[in-house]
This record gives sequence, C-alpha cells and structure tokens, in this order.
Amino acid sequence: MKFVIRLIALALFSLLPPQVSADSFENILRKTAIDRGVLPSQNLYDNRDQSLVKLGKIFFNSEKLSLNRNISCETCHLEEFSSADGIPNAVGVGTKGKGPNRVLSGRGKFIPRNTLPLWGTGGIGFKTFFWDGKVDFLNETKISPFGDNTPSNDPLVVAVHLPAIEIGEMLVEDSKVKKYKMETTDDALKVYQLVVDKLRKQDHKVIKELAMALNKGESEVKFIHIARAIASFIRSEFKIKKTKFEEFLFEGGKLSKNELKGGIIFYGKGKCSNCHDGPYFTDFKFHIIPTPQLGFGKNAFGIDYGRFNVTFQPNDLYRFRTPPLYNVSKTAPYGHSGSVKTLEEVITYHFDPLKFAAIDKMDQLERHEYYKRLSSTSENMLHISYLTTEEVSFLVSFLESLSYD
Amino acid sequence: MSRVGRILNMTAVVLVFAYGINEYVVPRIVLASHKEEYQSLMFQCDHVMREHFIAKQQVLVEPSEMAVKNLDAGEVSLLTCHDYDKLRKKMLSFGVSEPQLSMIGLEVMEEKMTDVRHFVETHEIRY
Repeated sequence: MKFVIRLIALALFSLLPPQVSADSFENILRKTAIDRGVLPSQNLYDNRDQSLVKLGKIFFNSEKLSLNRNISCETCHLEEFSSADGIPNAVGVGTKGKGPNRVLSGRGKFIPRNTLPLWGTGGIGFKTFFWDGKVDFLNETKISPFGDNTPSNDPLVVAVHLPAIEIGEMLVEDSKVKKYKMETTDDALKVYQLVVDKLRKQDHKVIKELAMALNKGESEVKFIHIARAIASFIRSEFKIKKTKFEEFLFEGGKLSKNELKGGIIFYGKGKCSNCHDGPYFTDFKFHIIPTPQLGFGKNAFGIDYGRFNVTFQPNDLYRFRTPPLYNVSKTAPYGHSGSVKTLEEVITYHFDPLKFAAIDKMDQLERHEYYKRLSSTSENMLHISYLTTEEVSFLVSFLESLSYD
Repeated sequence: MSRVGRILNMTAVVLVFAYGINEYVVPRIVLASHKEEYQSLMFQCDHVMREHFIAKQQVLVEPSEMAVKNLDAGEVSLLTCHDYDKLRKKMLSFGVSEPQLSMIGLEVMEEKMTDVRHFVETHEIRY
C-alpha cells in the first residue's frame, strides 16, 4: 500500500515544473570548485627533463638502485595498486613479491607509513612530499633532510634521493653502510656514490646512455642525474590526466546526480575543501585526522608524531600532510599508517572518529595515544560537519569522479 | 430525470469527487510519501544554518584563512536549505497545510530530543 501511495505521489510530483533546475547546482559547484583552485590537468604538467623519461623508467624499475638488496621504486609503487602498494605499512628490504605478498612472507622490514600514491607528484605547484613533509619547498625556507646542502632546487628530485639511503627501505645496514651511518650529508653522498658505482658496473649501458643524454662523460654521472631521470619519469607517468570532474568543470560534461550531490557536500557542508583544496585537492598543510595508528609507528611502540619529526614544534604533533585526492578511490588503504580500509570509513573518521575505533582492542598505551590525538584534533572537530551515511556515499561518488586511468 | 439534469448531476459528482481528491486525498498522499524526506531535510537545514552562523561569527571575532574557508563552505552548504524550502513549497502547493508541516517538524524534533536544545539555542541567538 505504501508503495502505491509513493508511486502516485511521485507521479503527481513529477507533473510540477522544477522550481530550480539541477543546472543551478551545477553552476554553483563549477564556480566554487574553480574559485577553490581546481585547474585543467594540462595546466599542471611541466617536465623540465622530458628527454630523460625513458631512462627514468629503467631506473625506477631497477632493483640495482638498492645498494645491497633487491628492491626498486616500482616494488612499492605498483600499477595494479594505482601507484601505491595496497597494504597498510609499506614493506622494504628482506622479502620478495608485490603488494600483500610482501607482508605474507613475514620477513620483510616494515616501513611505518602507508605508501603514498604518485599521482600529480612533482606537477606544477606540487612541492611538499611524504606524509610528514620532510621535503617541503612550498615556502621560502626549503625543508629537507639535507639541510642547507639540498642536492637540487627541484623538490621531487630531492624526494627521489631519500628512499635509496633509508635503512630498511632500500638498503640494509651492512659493514659498508655502517661506516657512513653518521647522518651527515657528506656520508649520504658517499652512499649515493656507492649506488652509482654499482649501477656503472652492473648497468653500464644505461649509465652510458644517461651520460650521453646529459652531454657528460660517463665518469661525471652522479646520483643527482639518476634522480633527475627518475623524477622525470614520475612526472610523466603519474601526471594528472583528465577526469570526469574536469570535463564537468571545463567542458560542460555531466556528473551523475550522486556525484553532483557529493560535490556540493565536498565544497559545502562537509567542508572537505577547507583542506582538500587547490589543483591537487590538498592545501599541502598538516592536519590531524584521528585514524588509528597501525604498526610500529615512526616513533616506535605504536607512536607516530608525524610533522613533529620534521619541525620539532609541539604544535605539529600528530599532524600529517593533507593527501591529494586524484585516483583516491583506487588507493586503499588510507591514513598515514594505512589503518582504514575504505573511503567511507576514512571520510567518517573526519567527523565521527569513535564510530570505528576499536577502543576495547587497544592496550593502555594505544588508548592514551589515541586520546592525545583525539584531543589534538578538537579544534578541527569544531568546524567539521556531521554527515549522514547517505551523504558520505555521495562524497564517495564525487571522489570517484576524480579518477582516471 | 432529463438528459441535461443527468449530465449536471454527473458533473456535480465529478466536481465534488475531484474537489475531495484535491483537498483531502492528494495532500495526505503527498504528506505520507514525503514525510521522511521533509523531516530529514528540515533537520539538515537546521544543522547547516547553525554551522553557517558559527562560521560567520568566527570570521568576525577571530578572522583567519581557515575561518574564511569555513564561511565559504558554510554558504555552499546552505543549498541544503534550498532543497528543504523547495520541498516545502511543493508540498504546500499540493495542499499540505502549514499546521501539518509544523506537526511533522515537531515530530522530527521529538525523534532527536538531544538536539532540541540546539534548536532553542539557534532561536535564542537569532532573536
């Protein structure tokens, strides 16, 4: 009976002329998104080393980039996981295979953060890298572990330098590495030189090609040149491409009803765009979202102080860089430690973190840490809106419109 | 009864019947079928209005980049109220009365008793 009543009412309602067409909502979404900095994808690509893309791909996929083990950039940035690895904490040296298989062996060295996808990395204006922004060229003061001796003015080239000398990530601490484990730039440069020497010996042809492409002698090739080639490949391979949302914004394309509703929530009630704004849907700033900590944590025993590890400012405790959102629907799991499985859940953690947090399964320290993070986020919580389950699903639909192959 | 009389009778019956449907049946069907949607939109509109008000106050009292972003988002979020208003007008045009709409509004407040305080606060701030 209820169904019949609804059917009749629906028929009656449909007879009424629409008072405000969907076009108005579309126009509002278009104007707001463009005002908030969304740009056509072609405006975000600039590759200063275009000629090195092909060689960069070889280095990106080469396990020889690992000084004393067999692991490449591609090991953790996989095509099948949309340039991430599909697991909560990345697994570095000590195991084989890809994605979840690296966890299953149980022998690999866990890297205490979730692998970040590479979409848009190094595009125009994309200058802050890693969860804690340890390479950050957004402001006048350039931040990187190299201090005043940054190897390049290109932040992506600097970022590419780091995994190769990170113990556990791409190398193990053997007697040779131990000798240079002083955490000084000079020592790091010596390790880089060892990597180049290894490549020169084992991949002579590629080094020769790189030297030719750079108009240099073979002996002049340094790690910076390899890093430039890899950065060039990353820029090209993982550049931002046209999405359904871009077509909607700039070419008069259409969004589905749910995507449109999600977009209005994204820029409106959800206040997602307060942080996920600009051309990459990130403000490149550092915020606290109290997702659970999974794994050992950067600061050990299930603790990760996030941005604090870079700045040592107490105000930066537990803060992580706002992640960009291109292809976000393909890059689960989410959060700095990959503790959240789905987009629905991670959105919910922004405004209702206690819904999923398994407090009863945490030990005392975990609960204490979680409480600290919750209390630190209280300022955000004042402004983040409550969303219904249906509204969360609209947001997910909208985020799916930011995808491309 | 003459043919004309029968026609007049029939017309009168049809008119009375149509009037009855229009005045009593349609409003009840519309009210029954859109009650939940109306209540949900009413609740959501109230929510975003409160948040918009707070965002405005924040810009006035403690201006910052984030406060301005909040207010911008708050303005877009008021579209929810537009949906609410649109549905309300549609329901009114189908004969649902103001008292009936007020009644289902009160029902949603009863369902969310914990939020009644917020409704009161909103009105206190506004006036």
